[in-house]
Amino acid sequence: MEPVAAPLAVEPTARRSPPDPAAPTRGRRPSRLLGIRSTIPATWRIALGLVGVAVVFAIWIWGAGGGSATIPTPLASWKAFTSMVSDGSFQTDLWASAQRVAIGYAISMAIGVALGIAIGSFASVEAFFEPQIGFLRYIPAPALLPLFLLLLGFDETPKIWLIVVGTVFYNVLMIADVARNVPREMLNASYTLGAGRRTILRRVILPHSLPGIIDVARINLAAAWSMLVVAELLGAKAGLAYTINLSQRFRAVDVMFALLIVFGVIGIVSDVLLRRLRWLVSPWARS
Amino acid sequence: MVKISPTGTLVDEKLAVRGVTKVFTGRKADVTALDDVDLHVDSGELVCLLGASGCGKSTLLSIIGGLEVATAGEVYVDDERVVGPGADRGMVFQAYSLFPWQTVTQNIAFGLEVAGWDKARRRARVDELLGIMGLRDFADALPKELSGGMRQRVAIARALAPEPDVLLLDEPFGALDAQTKRHMQDFLLSLWQRTGTTILMVTHDIEEAIYLSQRIYVLAARPGRVAAEVHVPFGSTRGPAVKRDPRFLDLRDELGDLLG
Repeated sequence: MEPVAAPLAVEPTARRSPPDPAAPTRGRRPSRLLGIRSTIPATWRIALGLVGVAVVFAIWIWGAGGGSATIPTPLASWKAFTSMVSDGSFQTDLWASAQRVAIGYAISMAIGVALGIAIGSFASVEAFFEPQIGFLRYIPAPALLPLFLLLLGFDETPKIWLIVVGTVFYNVLMIADVARNVPREMLNASYTLGAGRRTILRRVILPHSLPGIIDVARINLAAAWSMLVVAELLGAKAGLAYTINLSQRFRAVDVMFALLIVFGVIGIVSDVLLRRLRWLVSPWARS
Repeated sequence: MVKISPTGTLVDEKLAVRGVTKVFTGRKADVTALDDVDLHVDSGELVCLLGASGCGKSTLLSIIGGLEVATAGEVYVDDERVVGPGADRGMVFQAYSLFPWQTVTQNIAFGLEVAGWDKARRRARVDELLGIMGLRDFADALPKELSGGMRQRVAIARALAPEPDVLLLDEPFGALDAQTKRHMQDFLLSLWQRTGTTILMVTHDIEEAIYLSQRIYVLAARPGRVAAEVHVPFGSTRGPAVKRDPRFLDLRDELGDLLG
């Protein structure tokens, strides 16, 4: 038969023909849900999340044994929560605790940004602070609380300073790393555009570091709440951890459970808010 | 410094590098990255520093830009000794130098704000550069929304904005794909023809050096030194056709031999 020129367009029917089931296959078939680093369908992601939550609740209900065990049922915990809300004690506790964390963590972040940017930008500042911070960050902050109580009294001050001390070294070191991540080319370009050090710090290093600083704030916020718990366990007039501690004396496990869940909810809410903040203030760094 | 060229005309020496030596102190031994380098760029010239990787060409450009300090020797721009970086020597890097949180307009205006230009002058200058660079439609875009070639055009515009005496380009097209690179070379050539800016460019691409420059300094490695100074025989109004000129091909072979 005479060879003919290949047709330019393939017949549409030929393209629609199904694969030959008898043809041998090659390669590993990708797994639908368990491919390493592969994405899964959104419906599956949501469904698996819901199942995960349901499993936790099932274990909880099973452990509570219909109210006969020490562990309260979810419903009992919810009732404990609503009664705390209706008598206003929850609001008092939440306000007392949130205020401590807010003030302490704000101080910690302020020190973290100032010192972290300076350490990450100037080798001389780094050389000066490196030995102290390297040493101090290994002292467990809760070990300092008795000293703080002795020096600062029993009111809010030692609690706030425990939160500061328990988080500031992580903030400083992590923000220093964020500042170090400003590309050298960006700094060099700024210098050759006539910028001085102050301009570069304010207009290049700070904006470039902003999303990273918010990430650091988000990650270390959990440590601030841990420090709050330690501080309130050693004495307070109000506070979420103080009330949890107090519940032990009255065997009010339902109150404990309610407040433990409140801690988790606070964590999730602040995480979402800080992610949202990062997204809003640094649209260029949205992934 | 005004001097008399070989053809008898008066030329203005814009940039002079005199006896620049750079020694990096290593743990085991000192490494001489640059050894007694002399070169000059005249006003309005486009000169390439051509060399294989590791010959110290980028280090030399950094020293000219004032970003690194020479162990010995000096750099002069208009007979003034360079002691540090400044907007008079605008620099363009291979990548990662644009401010990603700023729009194209804001990036280009950065040097003007630093220099204290008032808003009306800034706007006029940025608008002029957006026009020259063909970036008008992307004035409010963020760098991440641009292609690699466009980003480099923004970087060049930003460096040109404060009207530098010399434009220093450090392998500006090294991270681009072949086709974009060709477009950008033509773009740089026409930019230079239109603006008459004095340009010193570092490259390891022989054809790029011949195509763009009037003179080429060939740097040899270990230690980095000027191995040859080559005059390119094409006028300033050249176009892509010179790439098929026999002299272009001869020069390409000659430079290939020099680079080893």
